[in-house]
Amino acid sequence: MTLLLAALLPTLATGPADADAVKLDVPKVEYRINEASASRSPWIDANGWQILRAPARRYYYDVPAASVALAAAEAFMYGAKADIHTDTAGAAMFNRMLQFLRQIPERGDLPTMANIGVIDDGSEETGELMNLLTRRNLLYRIVTAPDPHLDLNIRLGSEEYPKSEAQDPSRLAQKIRSELTDEKRLLRVYGSEVVIARLVGTGGQVRIHLLNYANRPVTGLRVRVLGTCPEWHVAAYDKPNLKLQDFTTADGATEFTVPEMNTYAVIDLSAQPGSH
Amino acid sequence: MPGPFPGKAVRVHAEKSVDSATHQVDAPIVAQMLSRGMRSLTGAKNERDAWANFFDATDVVGIKVNCSGAPNIYSATEVVGGIVSNLTALGIPTRNIYIYERFPDQLSSVHYERHVPAGVNIIAAEMSRGSVASYDPNTYVETNFFGEDDTRSNMIRLVTERFTKIINVPNMKDHGAAGVTGCLKNIAYGDFSNVARSHNREKTNTLSFIGTLAMVEPLRSRTVLQIMDGLRGVWHGGPFSDNPKYRFYPKAIVFGTDPVAIDRLLLDVIENKRKAEGAVSIWDRSMDHVKPGRNLGPRFNNFIREPGHIEYASRLGLGMYNLEQIAVTNIEV
Repeated sequence: MTLLLAALLPTLATGPADADAVKLDVPKVEYRINEASASRSPWIDANGWQILRAPARRYYYDVPAASVALAAAEAFMYGAKADIHTDTAGAAMFNRMLQFLRQIPERGDLPTMANIGVIDDGSEETGELMNLLTRRNLLYRIVTAPDPHLDLNIRLGSEEYPKSEAQDPSRLAQKIRSELTDEKRLLRVYGSEVVIARLVGTGGQVRIHLLNYANRPVTGLRVRVLGTCPEWHVAAYDKPNLKLQDFTTADGATEFTVPEMNTYAVIDLSAQPGSH
Repeated sequence: MPGPFPGKAVRVHAEKSVDSATHQVDAPIVAQMLSRGMRSLTGAKNERDAWANFFDATDVVGIKVNCSGAPNIYSATEVVGGIVSNLTALGIPTRNIYIYERFPDQLSSVHYERHVPAGVNIIAAEMSRGSVASYDPNTYVETNFFGEDDTRSNMIRLVTERFTKIINVPNMKDHGAAGVTGCLKNIAYGDFSNVARSHNREKTNTLSFIGTLAMVEPLRSRTVLQIMDGLRGVWHGGPFSDNPKYRFYPKAIVFGTDPVAIDRLLLDVIENKRKAEGAVSIWDRSMDHVKPGRNLGPRFNNFIREPGHIEYASRLGLGMYNLEQIAVTNIEV
């Protein structure tokens, strides 16, 4: 079972990267005009899938100051052992984010909550599929064999998911979503295409990580989580007084609005009153 | 919708309402057009009684303007100013009158504040493009068109929580996706978030989505009056109006409570103008005439258009589509 390593904090690098450390991309959003459509579809450079694939490895980011907070939060969200390389201005940003991360309430090692199991053969195709699933908030965890407790298990190369379908990972992710159905999804995010979520927890204790890959705030983000959890606590970077809005529990789901978030927010939900 | 006058439309034309050369609107003539139109629609003896058919001093009124063609074509300030005057004459406080649109850049470019009394609210729902903060999280249409992850379109919160009545003030415009944009498109796509997702490549789901959105409560029952501003119009390239070549001047305002009936008439206005200009029909579905990109000539569209959205809306009960069932009163000012 994949566990989120509790309170594994990124570090600010002072020297060259370790030889065995894996360099991660600068996390960001690239806005692009889809010429064939009236809409803009942003492209997210995210590293979560790489970290989930090899959680024990050491990673490093080499990022400008503007991306330091996001990189540090991404590493924290996925429990990565990560060093951040940046400039002097970036160091100040890093320390600010680090201060926030230290304030997030400790919840111990909570297991990843997922709908989908991905049997990872280590191939590029499976990696790209995991990347797409991550970016579309289709929650998965890596398994070594099909897990009957999950709604769907994916092994590229199987009869259901032939390697040929991996040529178009976007379409394959769509197929997986259709087979899963939106109704079964443990988590939905509405109102932004640039926020990636991670869900960890057990039973009545759920932690939602929300990471905004854009360099501007997201306002009015609506989140739906399966399960009835009337108690909540939120910690949001640069928003110490943030309160969730329009909080509802109905039809076996919990919904709320994050009125505004900058880079990162962590929301704890609980079925038990007074548990936070 | 369709309100107390299904299948009824009052078209008021005034040749001197707009100077085609300067694009300028004559405010006193527009005031006359509003008065004649409202009195004819309601059968009231005077203007005050006509407006009192729909509103009283306790109402909180939203005026849904259309600014997608701004700063060139939009719900005319003279029309909107005239509406506000009539509402305040009924005793509705200015603080209870809202001129609203979705996008602030379009709305602010019109400067309605220069044409209405102080205190009237002028509000854009999306102060930050794409933000759903001003939409009601509990009132939405959920559907998946093209695999987009955000499958909800939420209604503007002012509509669900503040307004008691809404006046819909669309323009007479061509629309590259919907065929035309009139009452239905303005009230539907103009009151919900995340609607551009209904278009992708040449395909658009406006056929069914416009009517589906328009019939969601409380939008449907609170939209009590349709005043289509056809002083100026767009016959190609809509809903935008970048190219002056594609503007025209119907010099008319159409009144009613039935959005389908008014939009049915609009279909002919736009189609006839396009025919006269040698443009491809709004009903054409050939891929030979579909190309991506802005500023295409009148022989091309971005999408396979869906002017059938109006008939579709009639099947949802939003109004009368058959011309035989539509009674048009023509008034000349």
